[in-house]
Amino acid sequence: MTGDLLLLKSLVEKDLKVRYKRSLLGFLWFLLKPLFSMVVYTVVFTRILRFGGAIEHFSLFLLTGLLPWNFFAASLSASTKTLLDNQKLIRSIYFPRVALPISAVIANAIHMLMALGVLEVLLIAFGHTPGLSIVLLPVAVLLLAAMTSGFSMMISIGNVYYRDVAQFLEVILLAWFYASPVIYPLGEGLIPVRMEAFIKFNPVAGAMEIFHSTMYYGTWPDLWAWVSLVSWTLVILTVGLLIFKRMEPSVVKEL
Amino acid sequence: MQKGLIQFTDVCLDYRLYRDRSVSIMETLMNVFGRRTTRDWFRALDHATFQISPGESVALVGSNGAGKSTTLKLLAGIYSSTSGKVETSGRIASLLDLGVGFHPELTGAENVFLNGALLGFDQKKMIDLLPGIAEFAMLERFMDTPVKYYSSGMFMRLGFALATSVNPDILLIDEVLAVGDAAFQAKCYERIFGFREAGKTIVFVSHDPEAVRRLCTRAIWLDSGRARMDGPVDDVLGAYLDANAGRLQTSASSAAPREWGNREVFFSKVTLTDGNGVPARSFRQGDSLSTKILIETREGKKVDNIILGFSIHRPDGETVLASNNLENGEPLLSIDGSGEASISVTPEILEPGNYLLSISLTGNSTDYHWQDNFYPISLLGDKKSPPLKISNLSVSGLPPK
Repeated sequence: MTGDLLLLKSLVEKDLKVRYKRSLLGFLWFLLKPLFSMVVYTVVFTRILRFGGAIEHFSLFLLTGLLPWNFFAASLSASTKTLLDNQKLIRSIYFPRVALPISAVIANAIHMLMALGVLEVLLIAFGHTPGLSIVLLPVAVLLLAAMTSGFSMMISIGNVYYRDVAQFLEVILLAWFYASPVIYPLGEGLIPVRMEAFIKFNPVAGAMEIFHSTMYYGTWPDLWAWVSLVSWTLVILTVGLLIFKRMEPSVVKEL
Repeated sequence: MQKGLIQFTDVCLDYRLYRDRSVSIMETLMNVFGRRTTRDWFRALDHATFQISPGESVALVGSNGAGKSTTLKLLAGIYSSTSGKVETSGRIASLLDLGVGFHPELTGAENVFLNGALLGFDQKKMIDLLPGIAEFAMLERFMDTPVKYYSSGMFMRLGFALATSVNPDILLIDEVLAVGDAAFQAKCYERIFGFREAGKTIVFVSHDPEAVRRLCTRAIWLDSGRARMDGPVDDVLGAYLDANAGRLQTSASSAAPREWGNREVFFSKVTLTDGNGVPARSFRQGDSLSTKILIETREGKKVDNIILGFSIHRPDGETVLASNNLENGEPLLSIDGSGEASISVTPEILEPGNYLLSISLTGNSTDYHWQDNFYPISLLGDKKSPPLKISNLSVSGLPPK
């Protein structure tokens, strides 16, 4: 077990070291990307669609959703390549290969945590002081990361067999983004009630709701959010692990 | 189980075969809807059974595709068998491919730690091992340099030093020793012989009968995924080479020289030379092989877009190297009456032996002139310095001064 943890730690370190080599702004990009999209969405939804005007400090609300979403989307996109990029390694020595998708998720999670730290400072500066409910945030981060790992395992395997998976994922993520309460709130009457029920079935909806309530509103998250997040996480992680274990022997030969 | 023991019981391993590796979802859907399935299976190992005791050095011999590398990958735990049981005990070091875990952007030392983690060693253990690795690889001054700045030799040296630093009970070697310069190769052999003296189990795959004889006492001949013969190295190797020689003769027709084409453009003179321009038919590994070619066209016409092809074949007709100017991204030839071309290769990767060289002139779907298997050449091995002790050296036959 300690060996597996050590392996994860080394792979995450490698990921972080390698990613920003030769990049001037380095880690800042993880902050800058959501900042740029925040500017775009703020303009679109307050100047053009006049929809975000209903929410105070709409740009901060946006960031609270965009950071976990970007983590989720970036992890899934990265997972299409984890096995393919390491095929020589996989075919030359044995190690627990499931560490590859997991370590990619952890590396992205570390970025998210740093960005969340910066966001929290901004939120406090604009009067969104967190309540006691902020203690729940780490739990949500952990669950979201576990669920993301489950998805990553499935996608990394799928993309070995069908390179279409990577293409398909891009389209899916676009639709998924708008189907998740990332840039809009639930329960504010902004979304038709029937749509809201549908959106709550979305695996990431619970996590987004918890991020918004603990960080932006400073309130205790609704129960449905926890039920959704915990159950989806259990299902996705279990299925992901099962698929990975089941397919691992043939994937190694397939690469 | 005693450390260093290997037990292969009735092991089968199947690969899926593809005509084209990139299968799309469309194709799968077609299969689902009742079209014929494209699945084909290839049985790389077919009920292979053998046992290797601790301290034995065993060679796996056999022709290409006999299952040698597959066996090593099963032993290393990279593949899992389709059926049957693969059992090993003790720590395994695999020299299947060197330096694969290295990330080009990381420094030598960082890569050592990362690879250590992949092999299951913690940082503390790797800190202890690091100086020894750097010293053996002769890279003490370069451990803080990103490995992308390493030469391929340095890269391989670090890979070998790292893979063998972990004091394995079982060592798996797959032809990797043909790397580095002669001095480093000798050093590698020395370390491997050291493992053998220390009573470690060694499984060795090589096409070089000399290397096999030197290192191993026992050999297993794999043929179409089965252990066809198992015994003392000289017996097995002899039987294998005999059988192979027969095979070469029976299939010799495939490698017979052949010449055809419409000769609108043709080879009028072909000279093989060594790196210094001296005509030669035998070359040392690492030497360059040049082919000077005089090309003419029929009735002195001008012909454009000519593809000049070049290939080297084993005596059994198997192609080991092939290329042409189109594939190489070089301009197509235009010959106005007559012209000269030359091809130069450095066949480092080839094993010593006899080969046949083919050249061709083709155009857009026309065959101008082919000379298949036309030029026999022989490649001589580099003089490796085997770590053998010569006890009695006497020189005779030299005329007295």
